[in-house]
Amino acid sequence: MPESFKLARQYAANNKIYFKYGQKNRRISFKFQIGGTICRNYLCMGGAPPLCEAVRNTLMKHKKYACSLQHEQYLKKIRRNKLIVHAVRAAILLGLVGLWELCAQVGVFDPFITSSPSRVASTIADLAAAGTLFYHIGITLMETVAGFFIAVVLGYAIAVALWLNEHIRAVFEPYIVVLNALPKIALGPLIIIWMGTGYTAIIFMTVLVSIIVCIMNVLAGFVAVDKTKQLLLRSMGANKFAMLVKLVMPASLPAFMNTLKVAVGLAWIGSIMGEYIVSRAGLGYLIVYGGQVFKLDLVMAATFILCLLAGGMYAIVAIIEKIVIKRRG
Amino acid sequence: MSLKFTDVSYTYHTVSGETDAVSGLTFSVDEGQFVAVIGPSGCGKSTILSLAAGLISPTRGRIERGGGQFGYMLQTDALFEWRTVEQNIFLPLEIKKKNTPEMRKNAVELAKKYGLEDFLKKSPAQLSGGMRQRVALIRTLAAQPQTLLLDEPFSALDYQTRLAVCDDVHDIIKSEKKTALLVTHDISEAIALSDKVVVLSARPARVVGEHIIDFGGGSPKKRRESSRFAAVFEVLRQELGI
Ligand SMILES: Nc1ncnc2c1ncn2[C@@H]1O[C@H](COP(=O)(O)OP(=O)(O)OP(=O)(O)O)[C@@H](O)[C@H]1O
Ligand SMILES: [Mg+2]
Repeated sequence: MPESFKLARQYAANNKIYFKYGQKNRRISFKFQIGGTICRNYLCMGGAPPLCEAVRNTLMKHKKYACSLQHEQYLKKIRRNKLIVHAVRAAILLGLVGLWELCAQVGVFDPFITSSPSRVASTIADLAAAGTLFYHIGITLMETVAGFFIAVVLGYAIAVALWLNEHIRAVFEPYIVVLNALPKIALGPLIIIWMGTGYTAIIFMTVLVSIIVCIMNVLAGFVAVDKTKQLLLRSMGANKFAMLVKLVMPASLPAFMNTLKVAVGLAWIGSIMGEYIVSRAGLGYLIVYGGQVFKLDLVMAATFILCLLAGGMYAIVAIIEKIVIKRRG
Repeated sequence: MSLKFTDVSYTYHTVSGETDAVSGLTFSVDEGQFVAVIGPSGCGKSTILSLAAGLISPTRGRIERGGGQFGYMLQTDALFEWRTVEQNIFLPLEIKKKNTPEMRKNAVELAKKYGLEDFLKKSPAQLSGGMRQRVALIRTLAAQPQTLLLDEPFSALDYQTRLAVCDDVHDIIKSEKKTALLVTHDISEAIALSDKVVVLSARPARVVGEHIIDFGGGSPKKRRESSRFAAVFEVLRQELGI
């Protein structure tokens, strides 16, 4: 029982008032009774004002443990709304999948062309049984994650270099803009000739697709750093390195976390695009192969897995962002 | 002599043209003196502080800086919102490689002395404007500079807080025995705080007049209540041409 809460208990005891105290979910609840009126929480309207006061004051000192009745209701409402959104979301997905299955079963669609959820499921099961499923997932995941990390690390380093020297920045700016505008798939044939048809080519493609945006976003974050704060550091005699480490990098952290989210999406585009061009293995390969031999079940199954993986990777980055931003304060 | 400007001029150059911000400026700040510089908006006051801090070099003329370090308190508090109040106060120690336990302890003592004890672990976002200003001042003092350059340190505050923080700052600076150069466009603030007021012309800044202020026993409150306050105010107002 919190120290100051004892005051309220003392008062209740002195005045022979029924008083019950409990703690649940880090929130203190209490109940007291005066002349047949039962008061819960501290929003007791009738009853004994002094006790209400005492308890109210007590609880106010421990805001973390308590909230008013209105606030409680407000929080409940928010929780309920959140639940509704989740429920509707799930219902839409289930409904669409169900409708798809039904149409395929009844014959509205030709399942040979549209596939169906049950056929997708059995395809995935077959792939898993044959042992190739995790092989293909592994290859694509490795390419994507490797490409993503290389692009982010290299992109960040290049952004730092460009930030350090304004002249270099001015020189390279148009190149970056053009590279950003260029559809990277146009470089496909070159990449195959330079890098062969193995996964290095695909990782290279992944890096190529995502690195430019990394450089541009990170650099934009660096350049947007408050000029007054820079002046402050300069007045303390900070050199460029201190400026970078103490100010520019932490100040642009939110921009960097945003960049990560964009880069995840682009890395998937890069790796799948790479696999389309030089397929030997991976989910992109399964999709292309399935299309060529008209196995739409395979195409759908691979696409479905891709959805899960891309969503999962995005979620991981989003969670990391949340943690980092929260710790930053 | 802590700081001495002799015939100093400064011109900003940008692609769109050049701006004379300061022209032929001569004045000095003695050791332990509190000097206020007043002048109309945009006349070049911040430029003078940047010159004094050595962030820019004069186009013409000479600036002599006496011994001791300078601490520059900018026009805005510029607190780093990702650092706690305490970490903000330690910033100059980290930059100046003075991040020793004694220096940190000193800085914390200072913060405690001036009412920031309960806020050291808080984020700047949780502070009121007046407290942020106080944090900015303690941060300026943390590296124990001998001379303080203060750029309208109270401009972001409402009038009441301003009076209170103004008294605080005067207290802190006098009790820590610092030399201070304060820039403001508020005449009464200048009179209340300083030992000497330097009045500047409109841009480019020149010295129009210098006034030693020695009534009221050196406390801002007593000064404001003094019968001589109004007379000095009037003289400065006329020199500023408002
Ligand atoms: N970095 C800069 N580049 C070009 N011109 C500048 C720069 N900084 C200031 N100036 C110009 O120099 C003049 C003086 O500026 P300064 O900031 O010193 O004035 P101030 O007296 O501090 O103004 P305020 O009262 O608004 O704080 C202004 O006309 C301003 O436009
Ligand atoms: Mg200014």
